[in-house]
Amino acid sequence: MSMESPKSEYLLLFRGTGWHKNLSPEEIQEVMTRWMAWFDGLTEKGIAQTGQPLADEGKIVSGSKGQTIVDGPFAESKEAIGGYFLLKVDSPEEAVEIARQCPALDYGVTVEVRPVVECCGAAHAASVAAASASV
Amino acid sequence: MEIISENDASSVGEVSRLTEHLFRQESAKLVAVLTRVFGIDRLHFAEDVVQDTLIKALKTWPYAGIPEKPAAWLMQTAKNRALDLVRREARFREKQEIIAATLEQWPTESTHGAPVRFETEISADRLRLMFACCHPLIPQESQSALALKTLCGFSPGEIARAFLTTEVAVNKRLTRARRSLRDGGIPFEIPAGAALEERLEAVLRTLYLLFNEGHKASGGDKLIRAELCAEAVRLTASLVEHPCGDLPDAHALMALMLLNSARLDARQDAAGRILLLQAQDRSRWDATMIARGLSHLARSASGNRLSVYHLQAGIAACHCTAPDYASTDWPRILALYDSLVTLEDSPVVALNRAVAVAQVHGPAAGIGALEAIAHINRLQAYYLFHVVRAEFEADLGNPTAAAAHLRKALPLVPLEVERSLLLERLKNLRVDCPFAFNL
Repeated sequence: MSMESPKSEYLLLFRGTGWHKNLSPEEIQEVMTRWMAWFDGLTEKGIAQTGQPLADEGKIVSGSKGQTIVDGPFAESKEAIGGYFLLKVDSPEEAVEIARQCPALDYGVTVEVRPVVECCGAAHAASVAAASASV
Repeated sequence: MEIISENDASSVGEVSRLTEHLFRQESAKLVAVLTRVFGIDRLHFAEDVVQDTLIKALKTWPYAGIPEKPAAWLMQTAKNRALDLVRREARFREKQEIIAATLEQWPTESTHGAPVRFETEISADRLRLMFACCHPLIPQESQSALALKTLCGFSPGEIARAFLTTEVAVNKRLTRARRSLRDGGIPFEIPAGAALEERLEAVLRTLYLLFNEGHKASGGDKLIRAELCAEAVRLTASLVEHPCGDLPDAHALMALMLLNSARLDARQDAAGRILLLQAQDRSRWDATMIARGLSHLARSASGNRLSVYHLQAGIAACHCTAPDYASTDWPRILALYDSLVTLEDSPVVALNRAVAVAQVHGPAAGIGALEAIAHINRLQAYYLFHVVRAEFEADLGNPTAAAAHLRKALPLVPLEVERSLLLERLKNLRVDCPFAFNL
């Protein structure tokens, strides 16, 4: 049985939704083309599991029993998420390396790289403990 | 496309389905057609709708793939956005019904076959917008900026790079232009009758300036300049193809642009250094473009009009049809320059004429021609004025005088590559062929 390290999942979150406001049609086409080639390449190699763009406008629900519902996040905000990729990679370094290829970085987008926790951490630890105790 | 590594080769097929400059061209079309719908005073609404449309493509196509008919998708999306905007904006209230009805008549994405009538309509809208952008009420600088923004889909940043100015300055020009459009009651129409000729002259002038800005040999972003030339050619072509632009001057301008564009690539060597006419590899000139240019030159020869475009196109044609530098028809070129200086009071034209004089009558006569124009202030600050003089002196066997004039030119050179060219020349001042700077 091969002992290659198991793949883990990472979410790339693209933040910044107003970065394209001042781009010319030519630049828009250029970035769009690069982004598409990037995502297609990752998908074909089996690295990108899925990915989606998010609309600018949504709601933010908060408070006890969700009593507060407001519009948000503000579309222009730097923190708003414009889209995401779900990746399956060998290492955190690989995920970061992929994030660095994001074509919109030059225009002020930031990419957040977050590992997806495999299963519930506490339950996992408990089952490991139980297994070792029963030996 | 160097941005796609070989690993991604399989995705090239998908991406390459997009024509180069598709967004720029479609956005220019959509701005024109939406401007008719909204009214010329609401040009910025049209621009906003189109920008939003392109951004929607940017956000969704990478994930969903390029739609089967990208241009139709853009149009459909623009139509939907325009309808949203018209229903939301109070300002459109009284015209809402009419605008919505017009938009509803646009061909839908599922329309089969080319909606020819609609395409013709779009071309007419682009010409209407062209005439509006080049209206005499708008200051010349603003006309050029506005034409690039709305007709060619350039961003303020790109316009700034093309005109060697700042984005702030470009935005000011655009604001001024939009204000003139709004307050000046400038119509969105192709002028007819007696007004046409006068208005056409203004349009040709702006197109000519756009082209020249791109064609200048020195300074600025090379890529954007080449695109400026290509856009000027495209706009002029759309003008001469329409009955309103089928006039001698317009054909002459078209000829001039094509005959100069044909030689654009051959003007530089692999290192990006400017190649003088006599050093250019003429097999690199674009023969198809030259043929097109000559055919427009022939069509420009009706009536008794002789514009600066006719004369300059005539000069360019002399160069384009000469098999090599030595057999250039210099007497004809000189005759054309003699006419041109009477029509255009330009120091550069006067300088070019002196070069032609030297070719026909010898370097001493060339120096005479230079001395006759030396009083023109701007020429003293123009490095080529001194370079040309230096070459004439060298031809006469006066290397010392030649060197003195080259040294005068050195501090005035705008580009480093040209500076090094001059320094080299200064080093081996033996010059065996006469210097002509017709590029």
